[in-house]
Amino acid sequence: MHQLLNEPIEVLVEFKGKHVKPRRIRWGNNIYDMNAFNLVHGVLEGTKQVFYFSVSDATNFMKLRFETESLEWRLVELYTDG
Amino acid sequence: MPQKIILHLDFNSYFASVEQQANPFLRGKAIAIAGKGVDSIDLSHTHYKNIRFNVKQASLQRTVVTTASKEAKKLGVKTAMSSLEARRIAPELIIIPGDPKKYSEVTDRFLKILNKYCDKVEQFSTDEAFADITNNAGDYFGATMLAQMIRNDIRLEIGEACTVSIGIAPNKLVAKLAGESVKPNGITIVPPKCVDKFILSRKLDDICGIGRSTERQLHSLGITTMKTLRETSLKDLVAVFKEDRGYFLYFASRGIGDDEVNNVAEEPKSIGHSYTFPHDLDTDIELQMNLLALCDKVAWRMRRDGFVATEIGVCANYKESGSIGAVRRCQTPMEDGLALFKSAWAVLDKARNPNIPIRLLGVSARGLIKSEMPQGLFPKQEKMHKTLQALDKAQTRHGSGIWQRASTMKTSFKERVSGFNYDHKV
Repeated sequence: MHQLLNEPIEVLVEFKGKHVKPRRIRWGNNIYDMNAFNLVHGVLEGTKQVFYFSVSDATNFMKLRFETESLEWRLVELYTDG
Repeated sequence: MPQKIILHLDFNSYFASVEQQANPFLRGKAIAIAGKGVDSIDLSHTHYKNIRFNVKQASLQRTVVTTASKEAKKLGVKTAMSSLEARRIAPELIIIPGDPKKYSEVTDRFLKILNKYCDKVEQFSTDEAFADITNNAGDYFGATMLAQMIRNDIRLEIGEACTVSIGIAPNKLVAKLAGESVKPNGITIVPPKCVDKFILSRKLDDICGIGRSTERQLHSLGITTMKTLRETSLKDLVAVFKEDRGYFLYFASRGIGDDEVNNVAEEPKSIGHSYTFPHDLDTDIELQMNLLALCDKVAWRMRRDGFVATEIGVCANYKESGSIGAVRRCQTPMEDGLALFKSAWAVLDKARNPNIPIRLLGVSARGLIKSEMPQGLFPKQEKMHKTLQALDKAQTRHGSGIWQRASTMKTSFKERVSGFNYDHKV
């Protein structure tokens, strides 16, 4: 199942060297612990910097959007295996 | 002067492998990247109501495959195939909407890695580049080490799902040919003394520059292999293919090619934008609205890069077949989309057949002069000058698409996944 969405989430991140890694995600009443940090890419929307994090656990792939201006996290893509 | 050492680097199934890197559940599966990006799917309802949108419901049926993963290629899925045809060949195929912003970042990242190791880097496409490594490598052993280091950095910085094929040779023609001879994940070295044998082992259409049409022409002359091409005299080749192509074929069959890596971006000769519409345009109003929207895009890029145009070019492809193109010199330099449109419409209206619907429309600003936006002499011009400055400021701050003329509100250009330049960068 591959879904596009745009839902607010809470994210616990780990700072390591120059990298920021989303580790735990609270989406609604569920908590997901991410164990793979696959890709990060930044996008400039005008002068606003937005980062997208592609992360996964054992069954879900999630694409997270982080706005550096508002410090807001959103879940924008979800792919569930099977 | 010592012979140069040129490195060619090419990603394998680029967009597909980037998606497989981002989403590990796609690795090892037959996937295809659609020509339509995520941005082409109307997600407005999800933004406000938190509705989830199943990608399978998306209109990816009427799209083309821009890249197939190596697993999909094994099943027969090819680039430019329609998604319907691809699904017929491989029912298990997973079609993913493209994400050009993601690919663009990876392109920047691999160019940065190349620039770290090489003096001169020339981007050849979104996933391909040449590098002059003569000084950095010293010899072909050093070149092999350099290639391994570049490949290792790509694995660390981008990810292990993204593999590259590397070719190393004395010129760009042979380096590209070498890189493409072992896929995926190959490193092929062709030192000068091996060029001759290597070239003879390749097929005619392996050469970058020998397309289907040239190959057909060569076949009709009885030239079917690299050996027979080499045996053909320069005089005969020039007689059939004209001077430039004739010389190219003559030298290519001998492994002789350009070894100059151009790392300096030249000033553009023109700035243009074209678009293939999802439905054919058959009324004047539709044509005018879309032409004006294209002109505004071109005008914004001109002003952003500090150019004014003295010529306007328009091209169009008709619904069935055939195309038109015309250029006109303008009386005064232009930097405003509306002024470009007025000239462009005059050119298009004169050149087109109004009875045939148009499928593709393109406009290009030519005769570019590096100049600030000219000040207006009259109050009306001065007002427009200030308006454009304010709009450009808003566009710089908030990104493309922040404003649109009321008359072009019904037009929308979907972001394209492929192409040398990504839409969001222009």
